[in-house]
Amino acid sequence: MSDMEVQKRPSVFKEKDVRQTALLTVIFTVVIGYGGSLILGHVMGPPASNTMATTIFMMRAFTWASAPIAGLVAAMAVISLFSNRHSGDFPPPEAEHQIRNSPRLVALWLVVSSVLCLFAVVWGSIVLQGEDEGLFTAKALNVSVTGQQWVWNFDYIDNGTVRSANLYLPVNRHVVFHVTSKDVIHSFWIVQMGIKIDANPGYVTETSVTPTRIGIYDVRCAELCGLLHANMQTKVHVVSQADYDAWIQSNGGKSS
Amino acid sequence: MNKRLLGALGTVILGVSSIIGIGTYVASAKNDSRVLVATAAGTMDTPQGKLPNYTLDMSAYPDSLAGSHGKDGGVHPDWVTYGPVTNFQVPAHSVVTITIKQYDSGARITNDFFASVHGTIDGTAIVDGVAVKNVDPTTVGHTFTIHGLADAKSQLFVSVPLPAVPDDKVPDSGYTKTPNVVTFSFITGGAGDYVWNCEYPCGDGTTARFGGPMSTQGFMSGNFKVVNV
Repeated sequence: MSDMEVQKRPSVFKEKDVRQTALLTVIFTVVIGYGGSLILGHVMGPPASNTMATTIFMMRAFTWASAPIAGLVAAMAVISLFSNRHSGDFPPPEAEHQIRNSPRLVALWLVVSSVLCLFAVVWGSIVLQGEDEGLFTAKALNVSVTGQQWVWNFDYIDNGTVRSANLYLPVNRHVVFHVTSKDVIHSFWIVQMGIKIDANPGYVTETSVTPTRIGIYDVRCAELCGLLHANMQTKVHVVSQADYDAWIQSNGGKSS
Repeated sequence: MNKRLLGALGTVILGVSSIIGIGTYVASAKNDSRVLVATAAGTMDTPQGKLPNYTLDMSAYPDSLAGSHGKDGGVHPDWVTYGPVTNFQVPAHSVVTITIKQYDSGARITNDFFASVHGTIDGTAIVDGVAVKNVDPTTVGHTFTIHGLADAKSQLFVSVPLPAVPDDKVPDSGYTKTPNVVTFSFITGGAGDYVWNCEYPCGDGTTARFGGPMSTQGFMSGNFKVVNV
């Protein structure tokens, strides 16, 4: 093929299979984006904190943002498998409009991928920064969390000497958790509140959250920690401030 | 049949065989299947009214020469163990009264939360005839701690410390004639599968002394099943 012939070649966008791929990409993007968001909402359930609500929103946004990439890959796979099947050692003549001959497409692919990655990094950093600032909330309730194979226990250090194996928290009040371990590395995870932090022996790590919904939620260990790791679970009871004070007093503590 | 197909078929067969082999090994290494079923013992007045009462008797030994491991102690005769078995079955919505004879010595518990009694009726346990809410955290032998999954079933958390036998009362061979006897009662909820384990680090030198018998079912941990009757 001469240089003149290359220059005269029509745009790849006018090729039939490219147009089919583009159409399928749009369809798959919508299906993956909508289906992914639907499954996310079902799996993660109603959020029990603004942190979890933000997490779910971020995951939905990332799902939609990455849906075109997944859609394009799926579309190309379908077209390749069902429309452009070819047997033999060499590509057929009609395969001349490959992407490697289209610098604009390659550039577009690189720019879109880079923007998506930067989007995730920047947004994630902003949210993490907000969570860190929550550790310095002046009127926060402080709770000490201790992990030990294979049970959690909680000390309500603002309420005297109250201790428990189930976690109790007042609704709409910021809580700072001071987390440690007595043996191996565990990970303190309140599932529906979207917070998770390692519990390290000999160190205290901190995280914080504001419960926004009264109810009973799950505390789990998220770090494989031995024989009964799967059973290292308990409940967190989010109650009204009045009910929290009553519970504290019934366990010999003082209201904070 | 061409070589590619044979290769693919061989890979699949090898993978499936590996998975079956690992599954068979894990299944054969699982917990002792023997279960101690709670014995009916009349009724008991509780804050929830009069409830049927069931009893379980067990012991905590400083080695495996007693309990379920046979006279020679099995493969780990020097490991601490509960006995006669480590799997228990109790009825739902009942009082369960457990009596434990504690033959082992001890030392300071790493987390004094487990030197206190949790989850029993009135929050107490009877230690050698005396009702207590906690024991000295510097002389704990073992604990009996029941817990489970954070699922929709009834939550059950019971933890009772067992005081250590003083070192001067632990004989060079055999067991002390005067074990600490700890009795406690709690109320079960609905049916469910729970686990129990000791929270005093009495294992071997691995995993912050939570290794060995602490990390092996049939010694210092087991299953605790609550069933409908």
